[in-house]
Amino acid sequence: MTDPEFELIDRIIAGNQTVYAELVDRHKSYAFTIAYKVLENRSDAEEAAQDAFVKAYHHLKSFKRDAKFSTWLYRIVFNTAVSYKRKQKVKFQDIETTVVEYGQEAEGILERSDKKKYIQQAMNKLNEVDKLVISLFYLEEFSLEEIAEITGMLVNTVKVRVHRARLRLADELTILLKKEALTL
Amino acid sequence: MKNISKQQEDNLIAYLDDALSPSEKEHFEQELSASPVLQQQLAALQNVTRVLKNTPLEHPSKNFTQRVMNGLNQYPVRSGLPLKNGILLLIGVMIAVGIASFLLAAGVFDASGSIDLNNMVLQNKYIPESLPSIPVNTKLIINIIIMLNIALAFLVLDRAVLKPWFERRTRMNL
Repeated sequence: MTDPEFELIDRIIAGNQTVYAELVDRHKSYAFTIAYKVLENRSDAEEAAQDAFVKAYHHLKSFKRDAKFSTWLYRIVFNTAVSYKRKQKVKFQDIETTVVEYGQEAEGILERSDKKKYIQQAMNKLNEVDKLVISLFYLEEFSLEEIAEITGMLVNTVKVRVHRARLRLADELTILLKKEALTL
Repeated sequence: MKNISKQQEDNLIAYLDDALSPSEKEHFEQELSASPVLQQQLAALQNVTRVLKNTPLEHPSKNFTQRVMNGLNQYPVRSGLPLKNGILLLIGVMIAVGIASFLLAAGVFDASGSIDLNNMVLQNKYIPESLPSIPVNTKLIINIIIMLNIALAFLVLDRAVLKPWFERRTRMNL
C-alpha cells in the first residue's frame, strides 16, 4: 500500500513534530464531520476530534500502512467519538450547552430549506452508526470498504445498513410530509 | 416501506444507483408507472439522495490545528505494568501454581512432619528444659500457598493484563 502521506508520517516519526500540523489541516474537516455525526454537538465533536488526532500522533509508529492513513485516522476518530457518546449518555446536560444547542438549532432551522429540515428530522430517527454510515456514503469520499474499516464493520453489514437507512429515511420523509400536508 | 415488497425496495435502490440491467430497468419502469406507491417512494428516495449529496462537510473552529499541536505533548503517560510484562507475570504465577499442584497430586507433601525444637541449638544453650515438637501439616500449607497464588493470578489478570488491554483498546481500538 502506498500513500503519499507515508512520507510525511516518516518525517513525523523521525522527530519533526511540526509536520503533523499539515496532516491535521488535511483531515480535520472529515474528522470533525465524523465526530459531529456521532456526537451531534459541535463542542464535543471538536474535543473528540482533537483527542483523536493526539492519540493518532502518539500511535503513529503502530500504524501498519496496509490501509490509507486517513482510513486509520478516521477509525480512531469514530471510536473516540463513540466513547465520548457513551460518557455523554451518563452525564447530565448542563444548562449552558442546552442554550448553545438551542441557539444553533433555531438558527439552523431558519437557514434550512423545508426539504432539508424534514430530512434532518428523519435522520434524527436513525441511530448514530447508521447516521454516520449514510453520511459518509453520501459524502462520496469513502468507498463501502473504507466505511467498513472506519466503523469496524463488515463490508456487507455496511451495505445492508446503508440500504436500510436510505429506505428508512425515505419512509420517514414520506410520513413527515404527509403530516405536514394534514396540518396545512 | 410498508406497502411495497422487499424485492421492490431492492429494485428501487438499484434503480436509483443505476445498477439494474437494461431489461430489468425497463421492467421496473413499467412496474413503476403502474404504481403510485412506488412513485411516491422513489420521489422520497430521490429527495433524500439529492439533499444528502449536497450536504457540505462540517468544519471545526479556526484554531483547531493549533489546539491539537498544543495537546501533543500533554498526552497522559500510562501507569502500571506494560501488557507484555503483565502476561509474563501471569504465566509465571500459573506455572508456580501448576508445579505446586502437580507435586501435591504426586503425594510429595503427604507425609506429615513436625519441627523438633529440642534439636535446635537454642535449646541446649539457653533453655535447659525439654521442648515439645510442633506438628506441621505440609499439605495444608501448600494448599494455602496454591490458593494465595490463584488469588494473585486473578489479581494479575485483572490489573496487569485485562485492564491495560481494555485501556489500549479504548485508546485505539485498532
